[in-house]
Amino acid sequence: LLLLLRLGGTLGCASVEVGSPVVPLGSAVTASCSVRSRLCRGLQGGRARISWMLDNETVAGSQGCGGGDTEVSNLTLPQFNRTQAKLWCWVEWNGTKQRVGLAEIRAGYPPAKPSNLSCLLNLSDYGLTCRWQPGADSLLPTSVVLKCSTSRAPAVTGCTPQGGRSHCTVPRRLLQLYGQMEIWVAASNALGTAESERLRLDPMDVAQLEPPALRSIQSVPPQTDCVTLAWAVAPSSAHMELWCELRYRPPEDPNWVLVTGIVGQAGTAQCCGLLFGTPYLFQMRCRRHSARGHWSEWSAARNHTTHE
Amino acid sequence: APLAELSGDQDFQLFLHKNLEFTRKIKGDVAALQRVVCDTFQLCKEEELLLVQQDLRITQVALEQCHRPGFQAEACFSQIRDGLHAYHSSLAAVLELLPSHAGLVETLQLDAANLSSNIQQQMEDLGLATVTFPAEDRGPLPAFSSRFQHQVGGFLILANFQRFLETAYRALRHLAR
Repeated sequence: LLLLLRLGGTLGCASVEVGSPVVPLGSAVTASCSVRSRLCRGLQGGRARISWMLDNETVAGSQGCGGGDTEVSNLTLPQFNRTQAKLWCWVEWNGTKQRVGLAEIRAGYPPAKPSNLSCLLNLSDYGLTCRWQPGADSLLPTSVVLKCSTSRAPAVTGCTPQGGRSHCTVPRRLLQLYGQMEIWVAASNALGTAESERLRLDPMDVAQLEPPALRSIQSVPPQTDCVTLAWAVAPSSAHMELWCELRYRPPEDPNWVLVTGIVGQAGTAQCCGLLFGTPYLFQMRCRRHSARGHWSEWSAARNHTTHE
Repeated sequence: APLAELSGDQDFQLFLHKNLEFTRKIKGDVAALQRVVCDTFQLCKEEELLLVQQDLRITQVALEQCHRPGFQAEACFSQIRDGLHAYHSSLAAVLELLPSHAGLVETLQLDAANLSSNIQQQMEDLGLATVTFPAEDRGPLPAFSSRFQHQVGGFLILANFQRFLETAYRALRHLAR
């Protein structure tokens, strides 16, 4: 099988042109294969007989004279339903069929609009991790980036999800803490672009607080139905005004008792009305006092058995 | 409207409370670096460095518009914004001094820059004339003639920055409800 291709990519003997190498799935594809006999060694003087194959399937084109010694075959595939295919141009030569040209065609959809964008600020490294729903697969190579802008700086790429994931983390240096930012996802491929809704937020308002710590729990001897808990917020929240709540229950009781409105950085809280001689589980969580942003996770549970 | 009249404005109050929290965060980070300088170089008390301090041109940002009785909110905000800008630059000397704490120093620089632009943005949102104060003699970073001078310089930049933040904090709190 002699490949009549000239090295260096210039197909002197033959060339294949397509309307577009990337098309919407199911749409028409047009192509033409031009064979210049004078430049094809061994084809001089003869009329080149051109044929086509789509991957391994023969497809019919219509051949005509392209002026001078050039023969042209035009091909229309009315409904291209493969996501990827090779379109080969062949020429008959010395009783054999020769591959003389190739076009690689891809098909798919414009990117879907990313949705459900949400972000959380990690207070240990102040990276803003954002997640979103990518939407339907476009079947095409699609680049996705998270864009962010502030009122004082133009849009920049905040981060790029790796390995086709639909989350990434904007580093601290691109954030405007305690200021308004706009964050959105931009997806683009050969058939178009799509952007998610824009999230307008102050990164601090989506801070994921680390849970407080329950330092100690002691029974208050004279009143066996009370305990005093010493608690402290996580160091990463030390500069914040927080609103915390405490919950407790005996291990076998599914219902928690909730104590709300605990404010401050650290301190003690007292719970009364407890059953005596009973083991209790205690947990605490906090949120920023401005009621913006998320609750922390509940702290690690602490056990305490009240006096007999 | 003059800033003082705006102290009832909800957005302005939100701005104040957010940036009071931000200032507390920065003050905490500056204190952490001061502890590092104290532990690392045994430079812990300013009063022990009064003599050597005279040889060094260390950033000192006055916030006279933020002190009572002459408290002038718009001018005070401008001075805070410009001061943060100045400390953002002079922290580079601390970065050189404490390479193993580069992360914390760079966070401090980012925070100082963010707080400065938060204040600038708020002033623009309020339509305040953005008064820009002469850069005093802030000029390029001081050149230290010895490693000891560099250590003292780092200590003094942090001490001055902590005092600056304390004044800025009081000014913001004065306007907050």
